[in-house]
Amino acid sequence: MFVTVTLSLLEGFLSTLKLFALTLVFAIPLGLIICFGSMSKAKIIRLPVQLFIWIIRGTPLMLQLIVIYYGPGLLLGESPWVGLSGRFLAALVAFVINYACYFSEIYRGGLQSIPVGQYEAGQVLGLTKKDIFFKIILLQVVKRIVPPMSNEIITLVKDTSLARIISVYEIIWNGSSFIKSDGIIWPLLYTGAFFLLFSGLLTMLFHYLEKKLDYFK
Amino acid sequence: MSILEVKDIKKKFENTEVLKGISFSMEEGQVVSIIGSSGSGKTTLLRCLNFIETPDEGIISVRGKELFNAANLSSDKHVREEDIRQNRLHFGMVFQHFNLFPQYTALENVALAPTLLKVKTEDEAKKEARELLDKMGLSDRMGNYPHQLSGGQQQRVAIARALAMHPDILCFDEPTSALDPELTGEVLKVIRSLAESHTTMIIVTHEMNFARDVSDTIIFMDQGVITEQGDAKELIDHPKMERTRQFLSAIAK
Ligand SMILES: Nc1ncnc2c1ncn2[C@@H]1O[C@H](COP(=O)(O)OP(=O)(O)OP(=O)(O)O)[C@@H](O)[C@H]1O
Ligand SMILES: [Mg+2]
Repeated sequence: MFVTVTLSLLEGFLSTLKLFALTLVFAIPLGLIICFGSMSKAKIIRLPVQLFIWIIRGTPLMLQLIVIYYGPGLLLGESPWVGLSGRFLAALVAFVINYACYFSEIYRGGLQSIPVGQYEAGQVLGLTKKDIFFKIILLQVVKRIVPPMSNEIITLVKDTSLARIISVYEIIWNGSSFIKSDGIIWPLLYTGAFFLLFSGLLTMLFHYLEKKLDYFK
Repeated sequence: MSILEVKDIKKKFENTEVLKGISFSMEEGQVVSIIGSSGSGKTTLLRCLNFIETPDEGIISVRGKELFNAANLSSDKHVREEDIRQNRLHFGMVFQHFNLFPQYTALENVALAPTLLKVKTEDEAKKEARELLDKMGLSDRMGNYPHQLSGGQQQRVAIARALAMHPDILCFDEPTSALDPELTGEVLKVIRSLAESHTTMIIVTHEMNFARDVSDTIIFMDQGVITEQGDAKELIDHPKMERTRQFLSAIAK
């Protein structure tokens, strides 16, 4: 039984990991675009972007999952999310949008924390805007956003379990299915070990990154 | 021909006119110090010369070449940005708060701009950076990061960094104001030796004795205008204007 349960949970965890990894792959760059939008000098870009960020950060991710999964069907009469892969895609879209907005705010905080003197020192040396950003500013921003990003990313590990609300078969779904089929609850508790292990690994990775960037202040 | 000629520079922030028509010129190898009370526009003037601020009116010429003329400001933003960047190469700037790049060592800070702008190969840039840091008395500090250096050492790295781009005119904005008193000496010594080797410099400072010693000319600014300018020793010892006298005696206290 233990082996059966472990295999089933592993399978669910794979789906969890897939959702986790793909969310990061898309949300990290999308967050940067949203960040630039929210800092744009043009009101016509800045205000809608800020409104969007406020809506996404001001409502539960659970609700956003439901809106994205059921919304198009209600509006168009036909849901674009068909089958298991469709549900996974819907979950992914919701996660990417949600996390991109959180990331964008972290980036913004990081960018705004860089003293203006750093830009000016680059300017008076005659450096190009591109060099100033990539050779001077970027690494300082990265250093500052590692701690908040690691918090957010570890939260994402756990948030992936929300996807079960639209029947994405991630690890919690698989764990709880044993309650119905075999009347046992321990597989559900056992899922906790997977989360702990994975977030432990991530914590170590981020500590390592922070250490790596510790050589300057 | 004057190395720098500034004509009738005016600059407004929102509604306050900070520079109300500044004109002066200087010769190659000269040292000009700018003194004046807080808020008189000294920093703003240096920032205009380094094109961090754009003057609303006026002309800036270097070696007879007009770099900036407010009358024909281009409206094409891209052309303007590249022009501004080129213009900046004529001037160097040393900030009150050093503004070193924290992720680079002293050596890398100095070699960065020449390398990125392909003025030199990286090896050549590093070689010259070593020589410059050596001149600043920092031969044993080249591999240190800014946070591992004292304020005085950081400011000397900042001076070397500015010199590495070989500007026509090197500007200093209160280079010792952020330093503990016991560290100002080492920075002033370096600036003094630059003056002795005829580096063209504009120095905003509150160190009157230093200004009197190293400068050829002193400019006294008050509320956005040059109230008095002239020979350094003459101006400090025998100021002509009442306002200058007030300022100097207030500072002496
Ligand atoms: N970016 C800005 N926006 C608005 N006002 C500004 C700006 N920069 C400077 N000022 C104002 O312009 C005036 C002149 O400032 P500036 O920094 O040039 O004076 P300063 O002579 O360098 O003074 P200090 O000796 O205190 O450094 C001040 O009243 C200041 O508040
Ligand atoms: Mg100032």
